[in-house]
Amino acid sequence: MSEWANRAMAKNLLGIVTNDPHDVFQSAVIAGIRKVANDSHYDLTVYTNPEASGEPIPSEVDGLLVIANVLSNDTLRRLYSQRKPISLVSHRVPDTPIPVVLSNNQQGIAELVQHLVKRCHRSKMVFIRGLMDQADAQERELAFRQELIRFNLHVPPHHFLRGDFSQKVAAESIRALLRRKPDFDSVVASDYPMAIAAVEALRNAGLSVPGQVSVVGFGDNPEAEVAGLTTLAATVNELGACAARQLISQIKGARISGVTMLSVRLIVRETCGYRPPRRGES
Amino acid sequence: MTSRKATHGFIRRENRRLLLRTVYSRIANSRVELANETGLAKPTVSDLISELIDEGYLVETGFGQSTDEGGKRPRLLEFVPNARHVIGLSLTAERVLGVLCDLNGDVRVHHFRDLGGISGNAVVDVLSEVINGLLAQSNAPLLCIGVGVPGTVDSQSGLVQYAPYLGWENLPLADRLSKHYEVPVYVANSTELAAMAHFAFGDLSGANGVNNLVTILVNENVGVGMVLNGAAYHSGGEIGRLHIPLPSNTDGNGSSGNLESRLGWQNVRQRAQPLERRYVDGSLPGDKLNYLHIREAVADQEPLAIALQDDLAECLAQVFAWVLTLLRPDHIALAGGIADLGEPLLNSAVEKARQLVWADAIDAVTFSLDNASNLIAIGAVAETLQKELGLI
Repeated sequence: MSEWANRAMAKNLLGIVTNDPHDVFQSAVIAGIRKVANDSHYDLTVYTNPEASGEPIPSEVDGLLVIANVLSNDTLRRLYSQRKPISLVSHRVPDTPIPVVLSNNQQGIAELVQHLVKRCHRSKMVFIRGLMDQADAQERELAFRQELIRFNLHVPPHHFLRGDFSQKVAAESIRALLRRKPDFDSVVASDYPMAIAAVEALRNAGLSVPGQVSVVGFGDNPEAEVAGLTTLAATVNELGACAARQLISQIKGARISGVTMLSVRLIVRETCGYRPPRRGES
Repeated sequence: MTSRKATHGFIRRENRRLLLRTVYSRIANSRVELANETGLAKPTVSDLISELIDEGYLVETGFGQSTDEGGKRPRLLEFVPNARHVIGLSLTAERVLGVLCDLNGDVRVHHFRDLGGISGNAVVDVLSEVINGLLAQSNAPLLCIGVGVPGTVDSQSGLVQYAPYLGWENLPLADRLSKHYEVPVYVANSTELAAMAHFAFGDLSGANGVNNLVTILVNENVGVGMVLNGAAYHSGGEIGRLHIPLPSNTDGNGSSGNLESRLGWQNVRQRAQPLERRYVDGSLPGDKLNYLHIREAVADQEPLAIALQDDLAECLAQVFAWVLTLLRPDHIALAGGIADLGEPLLNSAVEKARQLVWADAIDAVTFSLDNASNLIAIGAVAETLQKELGLI
């Protein structure tokens, strides 16, 4: 039995490692984890950015849920090699089969682009990137580029905007783009908060959304509904719940490796401009 | 030849499947209707429906209308898709991909693990780790597991006779997995399952009344899968080793060769290598040379890409011609990575095939492309649902 298992036996305690428990995305992940943990009679303890603050990685727990890129890949590889029950949320370590839970980024972006092209008849796109050292951001951009090839669309390099998964950065990038008087008719954002920020920035600049520009974003939460945003239901709570189930299963002895991918579902609201045909219309 | 004696147990099982399928297909939703539709005696229907309700496959949802003659209003029955879950898996040289589905075949979650060059027993271990990853997300009892393998498989016994890309020879895969997970396990050739996926869940709009279909799957190898009269034909499979006369490719790469060496991804990747510098984005970690890059280069009128696509179309035309001549299917689906080359490749291959067969043969069949990465795993689910519950 490993040193880890000896120390952590039967505490019924899960550790969450996050770089910001109050961030919109991470707090929703934690809420999902909490629900499953409660149902399975596990307590939770949250560690904020332990590596950056020089704290040791917590070991007095049955297993660890690590959100995004809060720990370095070397640290994650070391924890995995010690056979500690561990699950990563929205992060992957290259060439290491650490159990991971991700949204199905490829399917999701494909659905968003297909929707814009086939139903909203948009073709001049702008893409707002996420934080490019995170797996979600990389996978979503790659999927976007692949869909452009499938539809034979050309997006110039200056239409790939910096967003960093930050509403502030995304809004600033949109404002900077507008100063160049660009020719575009749609925006795909790598996450829904950036899409909400884009809608606001476009409207503040006097553009009509969705009249002149369609806007869509990845992921969904109640605030996206309030904003009338067309999104993908990659419910962030469910991402956390799924990771908690994966971790608890490992703690109970199941050996798991590789990536669990949550299915996503297109949710059509106002910002894309699509109006479903009424009965009798073709 | 052994006779199949209709034992009491066999008849009961078949009747149970018939009733479940009748409710699942929404043909009937009360005991009275079921008796009328199936011709089974009412006590038999009541007995088997009680069993299906006890096991969670059906629920009573309310009351229907009484008949014109009056009498008791019938209790309505509904199929419960979440009564059991099914796992479908596909193996390639590079990856194990699994899906967890409900009984409608709706995917609840995917799980994959890249193989990173391992082979033999280590692949079986990874297969289990993927199954465990899917089971962790399930909230229903597991009904069965289906596995698609790129190689020669005895699907009756679940023995993998030869799967060179995985380093498997005479591996009793179904036995090993079913002992461990204590559920029935079905193993079949990947291409057969891809065809099954198209038959069961495919979008064959415009291909009405499809009963016989052929799927041509091109990844590392080339395979032909068939669904004949609604059931997977278990003697299809890999055809990549076939030596056929082929027109010289633009590299002057011989006038004959086997299909795998011309159509398989290894050859395509090698020939497309010069495109890598211009079309692959080194800043995105997951971006590796693939068929979509070739498609982009074709759209840019890159001579190398156009010549490559033309050669692939020539080879595919040969395969289409054999399939059309021998089997006269209703539908042919081109699947696997090569489908990412899209309509330009398919249309070119169909036109070239037209030169090889008589026009009637090609006009009588519909064609489609399918680049879904989970096609084989979904096919494994369809196969198990058909075998275990008779639902497809």
